[in-house]
Amino acid sequence: MSVPGSAIQLVPADQWRSTCEGLVDEGGRFLALYAVRENEDVAVRAAFDGPQGPTLISCTTESGVAESIVPVIPAAGWDEREAHDAYGVDFEGHRPLRALLAHPDDLSEWVVPVHGHDPYQVAVGPIHAGVIESGHFRFRVVGESILHVDLRLFYKHRGLERAAEGRPLSTGIAFAQRACAACAVSNSVAYAQAVESLQGYRPSPRLARVRTLLLELERLYNHLNDIGAACAGIGFAPGNMAFSALKERVHRLNQALSGHRFLFETIAVSRSPATIDRAAAAEARAEVETIAEDARRAWREVLFNASVQDRFLGVGRLSLDDALRLGTVGPAARASGLRRDARSDAPGLEYPGFEPASLRHSDGDVAARVNLRALEVDATVALLHELLARPAVPLAEPSAEAALEIAPGRAGIGVVESPRGETVCVLEAAEGLLTRMHLRTGSYANWPSLAHAAAGNLLPDFPLINKSFELCYSCSDR
Amino acid sequence: MFVLLRELQRLRRQIGLRPPGRSGSLAVRHVDAGSCNGCEHELGACFGPHYDAGRFGLSVAASPRHADALLVSGTVTTRMASPLRTAYESMPEPRWVIALGDCALGLTFLGDETELAGPVETLLPVDVFIPGCPPQPEAIAKGLLEAMDQSRGAKLGRRRLHL
Ligand code: SF4
Repeated sequence: MSVPGSAIQLVPADQWRSTCEGLVDEGGRFLALYAVRENEDVAVRAAFDGPQGPTLISCTTESGVAESIVPVIPAAGWDEREAHDAYGVDFEGHRPLRALLAHPDDLSEWVVPVHGHDPYQVAVGPIHAGVIESGHFRFRVVGESILHVDLRLFYKHRGLERAAEGRPLSTGIAFAQRACAACAVSNSVAYAQAVESLQGYRPSPRLARVRTLLLELERLYNHLNDIGAACAGIGFAPGNMAFSALKERVHRLNQALSGHRFLFETIAVSRSPATIDRAAAAEARAEVETIAEDARRAWREVLFNASVQDRFLGVGRLSLDDALRLGTVGPAARASGLRRDARSDAPGLEYPGFEPASLRHSDGDVAARVNLRALEVDATVALLHELLARPAVPLAEPSAEAALEIAPGRAGIGVVESPRGETVCVLEAAEGLLTRMHLRTGSYANWPSLAHAAAGNLLPDFPLINKSFELCYSCSDR
Repeated sequence: MFVLLRELQRLRRQIGLRPPGRSGSLAVRHVDAGSCNGCEHELGACFGPHYDAGRFGLSVAASPRHADALLVSGTVTTRMASPLRTAYESMPEPRWVIALGDCALGLTFLGDETELAGPVETLLPVDVFIPGCPPQPEAIAKGLLEAMDQSRGAKLGRRRLHL
């Protein structure tokens, strides 16, 4: 049997960038970059997804300096800035290396300079008006048009990754789950899969089923919420109310099925704490049908409302090229025409013959992102219909003891499609304890794309553009 | 749109929302001081169509200067401690502080201690605690109404000034 987990392949410091570039040229896709302390040194690791599964490469920095891969992989921009702020790595070739996680007082250390006739600044947050997570946006504006926006997140940085270090692999999952309520299942499954890959444990078909079911329930309430949020973004109260009501019904369904409205604590490593009995599954199935029926009706009203569509169309456009370059993931990427969904290749979950949703017109604007979610609601409903129908809906599965010997120099990688997009969890462990956990969520991947899509639009349209991406702050801040 | 409005009417009939049966109002300023977003979702639901906290005179204010109560969710991170204090200091007296969720109450300690400033109570005087992870919308509405009851009849000067 092969050794479980992914080997951490060492790369000489002067070949770091060329190796990363080579992996991408061979069809690999950038997943994440993070730093880790190794004795006295700091090493940089990068994960890629390829035809042969995930690859993890590492290079030890030379007194804290590493080659930047941003010139060849722009999607790693935030990752490098974070590694710099948290681990002091200087990335050669990434200039200026602006602060991201750190919050310097000096504006010039973190914003892009804007010159020209009469540009002014609009600073919003960290506390927003209404019930919104905390984060700060710095807009550079001429008249009503956004020239550029710098995002300063990490106000909610709780140091979850660091706090998880030194914990047993089975309990570290709490840190992944509490990173974000709206993506609790996705983050936990990514974590569980990373541990299982490290331990060489393959989820049984029953375990795969419950997890898929829970993931789709999470997607359902999130997508309904996000369509409602886009309606709120243009002040279309009836649409917002209708979709909020639908979302609430899914929360109640979650409560009835799992005992928690946000499905907290339903995912564990190599077992399933969620117990779903057959009668509850049958009831849930009927309820999903009625929710879907009402959602379709509400959606038609949104779709055929001329003034709503007038506000959605052509706003906050993200081109396919930009989505590729910036490494956009999830519904936002698919709305720009990128046919990628981590569900189409999801070992350990049950998505037979899954096809990513695609629109006839992938314009990458607000309308496309909202339309795509509506399409995905239908797909999720169909999946739930299947998952809740077959009697194999499992009861709690007894923990299967896996080979707990973890080979040194290996890491576990879990990849899950969350409601916002591909979420990656990379774990390193020694003697059964976590030495490094890195969680790169779909939200984290997409914030730079949001900033890019906002440029050139009207400032009053920003809330709408923001809501069409509907990214979590807590997922990114960790 | 008319279909949607009709749906809402139907929903209201189905839910059978009881009339408030009390008078008064409370404008709440919400500050997320480092939550996982669960408390925000439930707070949103509390003001959404099923629970409709607005009918009890509860509202979410867009500025601390318009607020009677500060509603804080999340374990306060070191980075949110100062904006939180600024929000509190911007409020007119008399003012109330409500801690929302187990994190804000200091019941969960998820995070690295160097990044956390501590539960809300260690930074601001808390009047009402709403436990839960996240607290359900009914529990939030109850907590807010308790603050509203406390505020009724309270006069400036009867409370300590926390500046
Ligand atoms: S109390 Fe629970 S739901 Fe609320 S912020 Fe904390 S972890 Fe999230």
